[in-house]
Amino acid sequence: MANFDRLKRRLVQDLVQENVDLIRGHVRPPRRRRQRFRFAGALALLLPALVLFGSSGLVSTLSVAANPPRRGAAAAGELRPSSSLPGRPAAIAAPTSSVAVASPARTPGAEPAVDASVFPLAIRKIAIDAGHGGDSLGTRTPSGLLEKDVTLDIADRLRRILEDGKSFQVLMTRDSDRAVSLEERAAYANRMGADIFVSVHVNWIGNREARGVETYFLGPTDDPFLTRLAAAENRDSGYSLADMRPLLERIYAGVRQDKSRKLAEMVQASLFRSLGKVNPRMEDRGVKSAPFIVLLATQMPAILAEVSCLSNEEEGRLLAKPLYRQYIAEALASGLRSYAGFAQGIAEKGI
Amino acid sequence: MTEKKTVLHVGIDLGTSRSSISASNGEKHVVDSYVGWPLDMVAKKVLKKAVLIGREAVDNRPMLDLHRPLEQGLIKDGSDKDEAAVRELLWHLLSLVGVARETRNGMKVRAVVGVPAEALRVNKQHVRKAMQDAVDNLLIVSEPFAVAYGLEALLHTMIIDIGAGTTDFCVMNGRLPSEEDQRTLTQAGDWIDEQLSRLMRERYPEARFSVHMVREWKETSSFVGQTKNPVLVTVPVNGKPTQLDISQEMRQACEGILPPLVESMLDLLSRVQPEYQERVRNNVIVSGGTGLIRGLGPRLEQDLAAVGGGKVRVVKDPVFVGSDGGLSIAMDAPDSDWEKLSG
Repeated sequence: MANFDRLKRRLVQDLVQENVDLIRGHVRPPRRRRQRFRFAGALALLLPALVLFGSSGLVSTLSVAANPPRRGAAAAGELRPSSSLPGRPAAIAAPTSSVAVASPARTPGAEPAVDASVFPLAIRKIAIDAGHGGDSLGTRTPSGLLEKDVTLDIADRLRRILEDGKSFQVLMTRDSDRAVSLEERAAYANRMGADIFVSVHVNWIGNREARGVETYFLGPTDDPFLTRLAAAENRDSGYSLADMRPLLERIYAGVRQDKSRKLAEMVQASLFRSLGKVNPRMEDRGVKSAPFIVLLATQMPAILAEVSCLSNEEEGRLLAKPLYRQYIAEALASGLRSYAGFAQGIAEKGI
Repeated sequence: MTEKKTVLHVGIDLGTSRSSISASNGEKHVVDSYVGWPLDMVAKKVLKKAVLIGREAVDNRPMLDLHRPLEQGLIKDGSDKDEAAVRELLWHLLSLVGVARETRNGMKVRAVVGVPAEALRVNKQHVRKAMQDAVDNLLIVSEPFAVAYGLEALLHTMIIDIGAGTTDFCVMNGRLPSEEDQRTLTQAGDWIDEQLSRLMRERYPEARFSVHMVREWKETSSFVGQTKNPVLVTVPVNGKPTQLDISQEMRQACEGILPPLVESMLDLLSRVQPEYQERVRNNVIVSGGTGLIRGLGPRLEQDLAAVGGGKVRVVKDPVFVGSDGGLSIAMDAPDSDWEKLSG
């Protein structure tokens, strides 16, 4: 009986702590026990169709989560925080084992020769940007599911996945339900020396039948729909038109755009491949360019992923499910890892 | 010298269909989760009230701007009227257990409120916002956990709480359930009502009936499997009261929730540590108003037979099981815990 009372006491204590965190706006990591095994179990039961599809896509995504790449783990061990080169962005200060790239970090005298736009460097810091927040609700379903909540949840899941792998340092532009201007988001990523920037959003399309995923990188567009979408997403940017002009001129032709396109392609492929298994009618809406401010003002390869459509009833229902949001986060993580591997491969080859 | 306030603990189950409150002064009440405001001055004069709540609101619905402010167990967001309706509902529940509006009779009110298992953080924030003026301290808890706590089913148990808006699953392992221990389905009582309405319209296109009538039929006659007594209802058909046999439609609508329900039950069971799976299979507890569907318990046991067998217990009086659980938590939490929750 005493044991049972102790059990009740502990449960109430945990419950109170959970509520205190809620009041203070803390996002706590969920209590996860044997998570990887459970996820495999969930797939076995919930997604029998995966058997038919083979072992690619989501299965491989999850197996990557369960077994972080050796290379990444080793790199994490070798890496030193950006403080080894004070005042320099981490993209420069945090190379991996590549000889070509590692030398400047270990040889202070070589530092001025390093130029991030010339040398492809390994990915160490990832900025995750949960779209909207606070008064900026984003899109919503009739039942009240808000984009700002969904994006925060997915961003937090993505953070945990990436941090679990020990290969990346994650920067969050927001970790609670608060308003952050697009300018502040970009400035934060720039200031912290993020190597790549991924902004998580949920789409709203006038045609309620439309569904699927699409990923944007910075560039001009003639598509009136994308122009409207960019205008809507840019509303709370904190930038004036005068600010934007030099930014636009500086960015469109840059090397960064190529990297951003590659990053967008890899993330889009991962999203479509993985989520298509749990959402068979999902459409691949492709990789697109559009002038989103948050992509414009960042100084590293940056993408904006529309990870599903809240305007579609079925996807709205799926987005309300934690498991589906977890799949999205896993798919994003897989795409980001692929890009990191790609970037490191180039670095190692010295291309 | 400050006078020490009397403390009243309450457990509240804010349900899509019904909301209940259990208080430490022994009072217990349940109300239909409806709030209505008179549509115009005439209605206000006739009804003699600024706001009507519960059954009274349903009965006078033609004269009211009627709101059912909880959808799938959550406060509908974005509508000021729905948020106001939730506040009215909460104040009404508190008044039923003796808490006066505004002054609270000088009492300190400490409340535990149940929300669906998979409610997002922001949904919980909405509940907190709606209750901020009504209580001194508030603890938000997942509904199935409150049920488990009230039934003292905290170890190796699965709770399936089938309400109107959601079906909540929770496996109790002796710790606060994590996201992976819980599921929420939107196939629940309201979903059955929709299916039954659709099936009846298909079979009896001339029949006239409302969602409130369908809900009452379900509450008195729902079943899965076989039934000895046909389900007969009387509705106007072409203006004439006519008796219809809706047994087939009732069975079909009720059995519609079985596939997702069974799938979620077996899925959650498969995630329990292997050495405890048998114990959990033998401790499945079905609660909630929709859990009273006749034949549901034996039917779930049939499905459990495929994975080694198990026992399903249906809570016979589910009305207060959630709010009683909330009250137990409220009374077990020491002052030091409550003080942390005054923000």
